[in-house]
Amino acid sequence: MKGKYKIDLKTAVILFLLLVLVMATILPLYLMFATSLKTEGTIFSTLNEIIPRKITLQNYRDVFKSGPFPRYIFNSLFIAISVTVGNLIFCSLAGYVFARRNFHGKKILFLIVIGTMMIPSQVTIVPLFLIMKQLHWFNTYYALIVPGLAGPFGILLMTQYFKQIPRTLDESAFMDGASDFYVLTKILLPLAKPALVVLGVLTFLGSWNDFLFPLLLTDTVEMRTLPVGLALYKGLHGVDWVHLMAGSSLAAIPVIILFLFFQRHIISGLLKGAIKG
Amino acid sequence: MNARVNKNFTNVLFLSPWLILLMLFGLIPIFYSFYLSFSKYTLLNPHIEWVGLANYLAIFKNEAFLDALVHTFIFALGTIPFTTIIALGIALLINHKVPFKGLFRAGFFIPSVTSMVVIAIIFTYIYAPNGFLNHLLNGSGLAEGLNLKNVNWLMKTKTALGSIMAMNVWASFGYYAILYLTALQTVPEELYEAAKLDGSNSLQSFLFITLPHLKPMTLFIIVINTIRSFQVFPEIYLMTKGGPMGATTTVVWELYKEGFMHFRMGRASAIAYTLFLIIFVLALLQMQLFKTDEQLV
Repeated sequence: MKGKYKIDLKTAVILFLLLVLVMATILPLYLMFATSLKTEGTIFSTLNEIIPRKITLQNYRDVFKSGPFPRYIFNSLFIAISVTVGNLIFCSLAGYVFARRNFHGKKILFLIVIGTMMIPSQVTIVPLFLIMKQLHWFNTYYALIVPGLAGPFGILLMTQYFKQIPRTLDESAFMDGASDFYVLTKILLPLAKPALVVLGVLTFLGSWNDFLFPLLLTDTVEMRTLPVGLALYKGLHGVDWVHLMAGSSLAAIPVIILFLFFQRHIISGLLKGAIKG
Repeated sequence: MNARVNKNFTNVLFLSPWLILLMLFGLIPIFYSFYLSFSKYTLLNPHIEWVGLANYLAIFKNEAFLDALVHTFIFALGTIPFTTIIALGIALLINHKVPFKGLFRAGFFIPSVTSMVVIAIIFTYIYAPNGFLNHLLNGSGLAEGLNLKNVNWLMKTKTALGSIMAMNVWASFGYYAILYLTALQTVPEELYEAAKLDGSNSLQSFLFITLPHLKPMTLFIIVINTIRSFQVFPEIYLMTKGGPMGATTTVVWELYKEGFMHFRMGRASAIAYTLFLIIFVLALLQMQLFKTDEQLV
């Protein structure tokens, strides 16, 4: 099948349509990159400027050198990596119990997992804000990391994946006197790598792109994440487009690279019902 | 230590990180929020006072909230049909045997993984008075013909909400297109072949084989998209702050305003629960709607 395409009229028309549509889809992102490479004077002249005449990395240098952007990037990275590692560990632990054990109340607990996936995060933001103040976690990394360390999506995903792995594997290990921890880490997790990749990538993306929680649970420059920092920068210097676009590109590039590398995993993960947006 | 106790101990141990987090940052906030929605509580006066339904009555008497509710419904009704149809169209196109399938799929999908903050910044730039859209309209001569010269898209009450809605369609159709594509790939090829043998043309095949097969996915897409439409916030925060003249307020924007600008936590919680209830009822309704429909066929 591969490589053998009948290029008849119909295929050519479809190909042309797809090409136009995909270019229209990419255009806004292209404008972002193109503008981030321009010098300030040339941004809004005419349509002819759609391809920058003179390319400069000065805007990126400015963003890195001046102000709090390096801190924003560090915060975003640190939070996203912490949340991702937490989910990989804690969702695997919970998934193991849900997939392999039977006990009273298991069904109810699992329903709670699914139920919490359906609840929009906006419902809990007010009390979460108050709880963080009370815990003295407001405006700390704890506020942005801890609540998301064991998400329901990850538990669902790991449970489903572990269930597909034949039980005979763990049973023979138990016969040899292995512990639960050994079975989970040495037998099940190596086999569950695809699920771990899906969970890891999606969790990272979700955390990296999150806006509402970091906006409302922090209030100083040192604690802001990249999306919140960008939003505040836009509020203050609304028309400094070249630097805004350089900052936006820095927020978008890691996501696009991750996506291109893990396209299959991301799509299959989203299909499994990552309803939270 | 006997084996059963040991097993129960492991269950508790393995589940405890999740259970503790669920209690502290899931269940307690949910119930606390519910309680707050019946209380008067502001950050300035940290004395919680039970007020019954007063918050709910207040928000439903508040014109700003009702406007926000209307805007949110307009947002959902005005974007979902477009997003769904564009997504279906693109999925149908990619589903043909064409080269570079993977590239197209990736291209259409990229906006869905991009942060809404980034998207909102790009589109503020596109919609600016001397921005890309106006250059495009001027350059193509459309601006003259449609009387759209140098419109300040986000600052005019007539165009602001529509502009954000258009952006939202752009930002989300790729995700739904991929969902449709996977559904299309599960239609058994034999059905089309059998239909062909029976003399049906491609339009008939589409109407009587493809479309019915896509029904569950369409339901899923509409439900998710409805939920998302009711959560619209970052784009409002970044692009218009609810303006001009309150033309782009949404339910979550009002929640933000009450809770985090006026610090009226009771009212903000009432809005949060109203939002939750609306989403819940709409999701149930849509599922019911599609179910009865299925029985008729």
